[in-house]
Amino acid sequence: MAKYLALLRGPGVPSTLSPQDMQRVIQKYMSWSDDLRKAGRVLNAEKLRFGEGRVLRGNSGKMAVTDGPYIESKEIVGGFWLIEAGSYDEMLKILSTHPHLEGPGSIEVREIEDTSRRS
Amino acid sequence: MTSGVDALVEHLFRHSAGQIVARLARRLGAARLDLAEEAVQDALVRALSIWPYSGVPAEPRGWLFQVARNRAIDLLRREASLRGKLRELESAAAEALPEQSTALGDDELAMMFMCCHPALPPPARVALTLKTVGGFSVDEVAAAFLAEPETIAQRLVRAKRQIREQAIAIEIPPEAERGERLTSVLDVLYLLFNEGYSAHGGENLTRADLCGESIRLTEILAGNPASDLPEVHALLALMLLQASRLPARVDESGDLLLLGEQDRRAWDQTLIGRGLGHLERAASGDRITAYHVEAAIAATHAAAPDEASTDWDAIVRLYDDLLALKPSPVVELNRAIALAMAKGPAAGIAAIERVESDPALSRYYLLPAALGRLWREAGDVERAARYYEEALARPCSEPERRFLERQLTRCRRTATA
Repeated sequence: MAKYLALLRGPGVPSTLSPQDMQRVIQKYMSWSDDLRKAGRVLNAEKLRFGEGRVLRGNSGKMAVTDGPYIESKEIVGGFWLIEAGSYDEMLKILSTHPHLEGPGSIEVREIEDTSRRS
Repeated sequence: MTSGVDALVEHLFRHSAGQIVARLARRLGAARLDLAEEAVQDALVRALSIWPYSGVPAEPRGWLFQVARNRAIDLLRREASLRGKLRELESAAAEALPEQSTALGDDELAMMFMCCHPALPPPARVALTLKTVGGFSVDEVAAAFLAEPETIAQRLVRAKRQIREQAIAIEIPPEAERGERLTSVLDVLYLLFNEGYSAHGGENLTRADLCGESIRLTEILAGNPASDLPEVHALLALMLLQASRLPARVDESGDLLLLGEQDRRAWDQTLIGRGLGHLERAASGDRITAYHVEAAIAATHAAAPDEASTDWDAIVRLYDDLLALKPSPVVELNRAIALAMAKGPAAGIAAIERVESDPALSRYYLLPAALGRLWREAGDVERAARYYEEALARPCSEPERRFLERQLTRCRRTATA
């Protein structure tokens, strides 16, 4: 088993949905993650706050801090999942049904380097 | 925390929403029903944002109620501070509003800084300023951006929400932040001016009032010690030099005249003089901005007695500088037209072909219009006519449409002759 980090990019949740529609969206996510959680494969999952953040830049020793990142909303990382899986193929299979992909967003998945591995 | 699919009973959101609104509104009074509803909606949105990651909390109703109640308290606190503002406004109502006032300019300056706040994505800053300070319609903003109106409308809604959520203030920013804040204010003013100068989609080709307004706002910047900087003077020079040609750009019937057809005696020498004065003040810094280069291009035109004796080689070089500072397909197109003036139509056509398929120009009528003109000059009137037809299929103002039709008729007449 390897660990994979899935970064969810895309605009924030729409605030104009009806309560009923909101519940439907949450239920979709729950259905997606239910089996994974029961199997203990979800190591962590966090939502990142929208609308704030800081970017630190080295600037050759003259560090600068700016508010941000303020990029196109479809590029903003909204949250992440840390999941255990056997391979990239399995991860792709897991993520292929992720409800996030029903919207305009994207998911970037990266294997976490196993520092205990010697070869 | 539980997290199962079954953690949410059917209609939990709908029912909880009603319940919590009722509970809050009862305590706040029916007059505050709107506030209660807003607080609950915010709580639901927060759940929608967080629960997919965290799972559903063990007591979802309790969670929603807590969050909604805290949100209602926040909203009431904000109102309390607004009531203080109301008293300020009431006492201000007794004052007379002066016809001309730098204090009034300060208000507009502060408002622009708010609209151009770095917390907003750049496209939203421009859209918001054009909409609120500039009084643009959504369609006009969209035309200025070469974008779809729906995109702009959504952008505005998001921007306003962000301003509310982040409590962005109406103020002239402190010095440390001002440089960055000023850059986006200038970008917006530049767009505002261009909208007035070319007036996409409008009935009248030039809306001198809009150009005048952006010049006025830039003059406020140039005259305010907080923003009296070389790039501000460069932008102001550019605007004044461009505006000097406004009286000559259309004939008596309001039809568009090309640079070569314009009566240069109608160019406003006072504006040219003021523009050159600001260009001089713009040269005091050590930074060259796109505004400097564009102002220099406008000054080169202003210095020439007619189109033929214009220093087109210099203008092509300035466009090269401009491309290095601000690469854009529109600038490429302008450079290609200048190149045609310097080296002949074939060179211009070859240069346009490099940017012809750029998606940013797909609705830009000037691209096929330029090709139409250059092919006619090259002697292929049939091909020129096809390009003018294509230009007519793209969005443009009424005088622009009449201009294109005139050119098309001319090509067809030559073709059949």
